Amino acid sequence: MDLYLGVDVGSVTTKFVLMDEGKNILASCYLRTSGDPIEALKEGLRYIEKHFPHDGEIKGVGSTGSARHLAGIVVGADIVKNEITAHAIAAITRVPEVRTVFEIGGQDSKLIIIRDGVVEDFAMNTVCAAGTGSFLEHQAVRLNVPIEEFGKLALRAEQAVRIAGRCTVFAESDMIHKQQLGFGKPEIVKGLCEALVRNFINNLATGKTIEDPIVFQGGVAANEGIVQAFRDFFQGKKKIIVPPEHGVMGAWGAAILALEYAPEKTSFSGFEVISRQFESRSFNCEDCPNACEIVILKEEEDIKALWGSRCGKWTPATVRKRWEEKESSEEPLQREEESLVEG
Amino acid sequence: MKATFPHLLHLDIALGVLYPALGVEIITPPPITQKTIEIGVKLAPQNACFPLKVTLANFIEGIELGADTIFMAGGVGPCRFGYYGQIQRIILEDLGYNVNFVLLDHPRYGIRPFIRALQAMAGGRVLSSRVIKVASLAWKILRFSEELETERRALRAQVKNRQQLDEIVEGALEQLRQVNNGESLQAIQEATRKKLNSLERKEIEDLIKVGIVGEIYIAQETKINFNVEKILGDLGAYVHNSVSTVEYVLHTLPFTHSQEKLEAWKLAKPYLKRFVGGEGIDTVGSTIRYAQQGFDGVIHLYPFTCMPEVVAKSILTTVSKDYDLPILHLAIDEHSGEAGLVTRVEAFVDVLERRKKLNKRKLEVS
Ligand code: SF4
Repeated sequence: MDLYLGVDVGSVTTKFVLMDEGKNILASCYLRTSGDPIEALKEGLRYIEKHFPHDGEIKGVGSTGSARHLAGIVVGADIVKNEITAHAIAAITRVPEVRTVFEIGGQDSKLIIIRDGVVEDFAMNTVCAAGTGSFLEHQAVRLNVPIEEFGKLALRAEQAVRIAGRCTVFAESDMIHKQQLGFGKPEIVKGLCEALVRNFINNLATGKTIEDPIVFQGGVAANEGIVQAFRDFFQGKKKIIVPPEHGVMGAWGAAILALEYAPEKTSFSGFEVISRQFESRSFNCEDCPNACEIVILKEEEDIKALWGSRCGKWTPATVRKRWEEKESSEEPLQREEESLVEG
Repeated sequence: MKATFPHLLHLDIALGVLYPALGVEIITPPPITQKTIEIGVKLAPQNACFPLKVTLANFIEGIELGADTIFMAGGVGPCRFGYYGQIQRIILEDLGYNVNFVLLDHPRYGIRPFIRALQAMAGGRVLSSRVIKVASLAWKILRFSEELETERRALRAQVKNRQQLDEIVEGALEQLRQVNNGESLQAIQEATRKKLNSLERKEIEDLIKVGIVGEIYIAQETKINFNVEKILGDLGAYVHNSVSTVEYVLHTLPFTHSQEKLEAWKLAKPYLKRFVGGEGIDTVGSTIRYAQQGFDGVIHLYPFTCMPEVVAKSILTTVSKDYDLPILHLAIDEHSGEAGLVTRVEAFVDVLERRKKLNKRKLEVS
C-alpha cells in the first residue's frame, strides 16, 4: 500500500497525518510542541509507526508549519510548503465547493478565500494574539475553566456580555470588570468567544467578501462556543462546516501536496530517525550589529542545516571552520561553550 | 563640516563619490542593522512612520562617528513625509545633539530655499561647470547602481547559480565606490554587463512575473523590507520594482520630469485624481501598468499606517478586481516578523503558480 506522510509543526502544536493514495487518513495525531520541535517530531513518528499498516510503504512526505524547514530535514520531506497552501488544499479536498476557510490555531489565524477550487486571496495574523487559541487558553486559566469545557460553558449562557476584545490586554481588564459586575461564567465565556470572532473578522476579513460554504478548521474549531459565535455573527445565514479532521488539516494538506508532487524516490528518513540523536543549538553571531541568532541542527558532530544568518555568511562549512579555528586557537574552549545556548 | 545622510539602498555609493569631489567631508552612516532599527524605535515618537525612525537612527549613528551636519530631503504633504526633516531636527535637538540640519525641501515649497539648501549641500559652491560635471557622474553612478538591482531582480529566478549573480552585483557595487571619472565607470559597466550576460540560465517555461509597488523607502530598502525581492527570486519569480530613487529625483527637480511617473499618474487617473501624498498615485498607476504588461501579481510594500499607501491600498482592491490581478499587501514596521512575511510571500507565489497553470489549461480547452 502506498502511503503519504504529512507533518505540521507550529510553535504550539505538532500534527501528523498518515494517508493512503485515496487521500484517506489512516492515522493522525495532535501533540504539544512544548518548545522542543525535535522531540515532538519523534513522538509523532512513534505514534505513526505504531499505527503503520504491515503492507504500507511511504512514498512521499510533506512538511508545513512555522518549523517546516526543520521538520523537513529531520523527517526527510520531499516537499516543504507554507501553512496557507497546505490548509487550503486540505479544505478543498474535504469540501470541494468551499469558498472560505477560517483557520484558528494556537499561535496564529488565517483567512483563505477560495474560488473554483483555487486560492484567490488570503490574510494571516501572526502579530495580534487576540484572534488566536492562545488568547482563549489564557482566559480559560484566568477563569479557572478547563479549556475543553470552555465551549460547552459558552453554549449554556442565556445572554452574552460584550467584552471589549480589541486586544488581549483590554479584553482581560474588561473581563475582570464584567466579573465584578456579577455576570456568571457562562456569560463571560460566551462574551469572550464573541470577542475572538469579532477580532478575527476585523483583523482578517476587512475588504474581503466572505462567501459560504465556510470551512472552519484549526485547533480552536473544536470549541463549540466559537463555532456558535461565528454562526451568530453571520446571523445563521452562512453555512459553516467543521470537518472531523479539523485539528490536523495542515498536516493532511502537506501529505496531499506530497502525493501531488509524486517524488520518484522519497527522501523519508525512515522511522530510525526516532533513535537518532538530533540536537538544535544556537549562538549569536557577533560579527556585525545585526547580532543574528544562528540556529544549528546537528546530528552528533554533523551539521545538518542552519538558519538565521541575515547576510548569508553562515553555512555548515563556515560554522565548522569557525569551530575548528576556535578549538586550535589559544582561546579556551569555555567561551565557545558559553555562547552556545542549548536550543 | 562633516555631513551625514540617510541610507536608501545604494544612495551612499553615489554620494560617496559626489561629496569628496566637491570637497565636502562626509560620514557614511554604518549599514542598517538590527541595532539601527532599535535606536530609531527608541528615540522617535512611537506613532512616527517607520522610515522616519530608521533614517533618524542613521543620523545618530553618523553623529556617533563624528558628523556635525545632516543632509536630508523633505517630502511633500499632505502625508507625514512632509514633516520628516522638521521632526527629526527637533528630536535631535531635544536629545542634545548640536548639529546643523540642512533640509532640502521640495521645490514646490519655494525654489529659493531649495536652491539655497542645494548650495549648502554642495559645500556652499555655486553651480560651476565642475560641480555639474561631478554631479552628473554621481547621477550616472546612482543610475547604474539601480540598474544592477534591476538586473539582479530579473535574473535571480533564471540563473543556475544565484551566488554567482550576487557576487557579480556586489562586486560591481563595491567597484563603483572607487569611480572617479566617466571612463572608469564605463569600464565597470561594460565588464559587469558582460559577466551578467554570460551567466548560465535555466530553461523555464512559465516564469512567474511579480511587480513591486509602494512607498519609496520601504519598497526599495532591502535591509528593511526583509529583502522580499530576494525571497521572490529564490521562489522562482521574475521581479520588477517600479519604485526608484532616480525616477523620484527626476520627478522632483524643477527642470526635469520622470516619464515613468507621468505615465503612471495617467494610468491612475480613472481611480485616483487627487494627490494623496507620498507615492499613493504611483502605487496605483504602476499596478495598472503591471497588469497591462501581463505580470502575474503585484506586491505592495509600505510602512504600517502610511496614509497615502493606505488610500492606495483601498483603491488597489478595485484595481485587483478590474484587472483580475492578485495583489499582496505587506505593511512593514518594527513589529513585522520575518517568518510570517515569508509564509505570506510563499503562499502568494503558490497562488500565482496555480492560477497560471489553471489559465493555461483553460486556454488549451477553449
Ligand atoms: S550573520 Fe551576518 S548579518 Fe548576522 S550578525 Fe553575523 S555578520 Fe551580521
